[in-house]
Amino acid sequence: MLSIKNLTKTFYQGPAEKTVLSGISFVVKRGQVFGFLGLNGEGKTTTVKIIGSLLFADKGAVKIGQFDHTSADAKQLMGFMPETPQFHTHLTATEVLRYAGELFGLEKPVLDQRIPALLEDVGLSEAADRRVKTFSKGMAQRLGFAAALINEPPLLVLDEPLDGLDPLGRLDFKKLISRLKKQGTTVFFSTHILSDVEEICDEVAILHNGKIIAQGSPKKLTSAKKTLEETFVELVKR
Amino acid sequence: MKKIWAVAKNTFKETVRDKLLYALLGFAVLVIAGSLLAGSVSLGQDQRVIEDFSLTAMLVFLLIITLFIGTQLVRREVERKTIYLSLTKPISRDQFYLGKFVGLCLTSAVSAVVMGTIFLIVLYLKTKSFEWVALWAIGALILEIWLLTAVSLLFSSFAAPIASAIYTFGLVLVGHSSLTIWSIAQKSGGFLKGTLEAVYYVFPNLEKFNLRNEVVYHLHPNPTQTVAIILYFVGYTVAVLLLGMSVFRRHEF
Repeated sequence: MLSIKNLTKTFYQGPAEKTVLSGISFVVKRGQVFGFLGLNGEGKTTTVKIIGSLLFADKGAVKIGQFDHTSADAKQLMGFMPETPQFHTHLTATEVLRYAGELFGLEKPVLDQRIPALLEDVGLSEAADRRVKTFSKGMAQRLGFAAALINEPPLLVLDEPLDGLDPLGRLDFKKLISRLKKQGTTVFFSTHILSDVEEICDEVAILHNGKIIAQGSPKKLTSAKKTLEETFVELVKR
Repeated sequence: MKKIWAVAKNTFKETVRDKLLYALLGFAVLVIAGSLLAGSVSLGQDQRVIEDFSLTAMLVFLLIITLFIGTQLVRREVERKTIYLSLTKPISRDQFYLGKFVGLCLTSAVSAVVMGTIFLIVLYLKTKSFEWVALWAIGALILEIWLLTAVSLLFSSFAAPIASAIYTFGLVLVGHSSLTIWSIAQKSGGFLKGTLEAVYYVFPNLEKFNLRNEVVYHLHPNPTQTVAIILYFVGYTVAVLLLGMSVFRRHEF
């Protein structure tokens, strides 16, 4: 569903340059929940932004289904939530979702039906007509999640979706991911909160120093004696 | 087209929910209505003063709206990261950019209609007749503001809001001095002549949109002049939009 091949990205700031991704490759299979792990500043967000066409890769290819990720066909298949989603503060939650839906070319009757259901799913029904500027970080995160689901995407790309959520919110998120997985949705998300990953991911990849240093199912990567967190720390310290 | 319209609607909503717009519009309406007073203290030139004063006030306030709201819009989307919501959806960067332009044009058109209506009412109260030529001047003013909206969007796609407001304002000053620049160029020679002629051709000739004299002296618009204004507006605006889109296409967020 999502394939990344030899992705390379270097940032330049004056004479200084920093290579964040050095030719990473991986494939997320249809229906999988894929966790993209790494320490802060390792390039997880850079990878997610390249997938979302917000940044350009220096080299490499990203495909969503059979399409190049920058094409409208590819974006039509994807729901995207950035890290700490931000919204136009003059809009209400309903208006934000309507705007997102209109960019997918969804018609009014479809949106009229889908928006209340989505707000219900993410626990924002009561805030449907409230301006987004009054939302807490957790509420914005939930709205971001709803906006990513507006097109009922076969592929969901989420950047640090658990950030800013309280324990209840994280539980809701995990339930929602499980439900989407049952419906056949492919989920790719970056995170550094490993305790939740073990429960919900079919496969994980660990990014360190611009390279994928380990990839596989959480069970395969961990041993009976070690948690994913312990394995992760051991791998990045190596 | 539907996607451009979705961005335009959102942009329009954003600007019309901005308190600054209402403050500026309120002030503009007061100034235009105040032209009635300015006209009454002139010696037999009431109508001329009202027309000149109101059309100038409209230009100034529409320009302020463009400078304060237009130059901030794209930059604010980038700084607040709200642009992520749009660009990760199946909309091209060109469509997004055009949507912003159309939304801003809608805002300035609505503002111009509000100010223009007050101006026409004031003029009617004074003359008891309807001045068609004033409507024509308002139309040209809207085209000028739309052209400047395209320019301010171009600047705001690579410069900070204050810088792009200053650049746009500078361009307005040069654009309204086109005829002076041309006449100085004709009296000069060598490098200066070439430079001034280049400035004349590269910068928009905003005096083409200035029909205040036609209104004041009741000169009726001729079709050739109207077509020339529209063609000039379309040509220059499309060129600026294409340039802006090519800059915006290369941006990383």
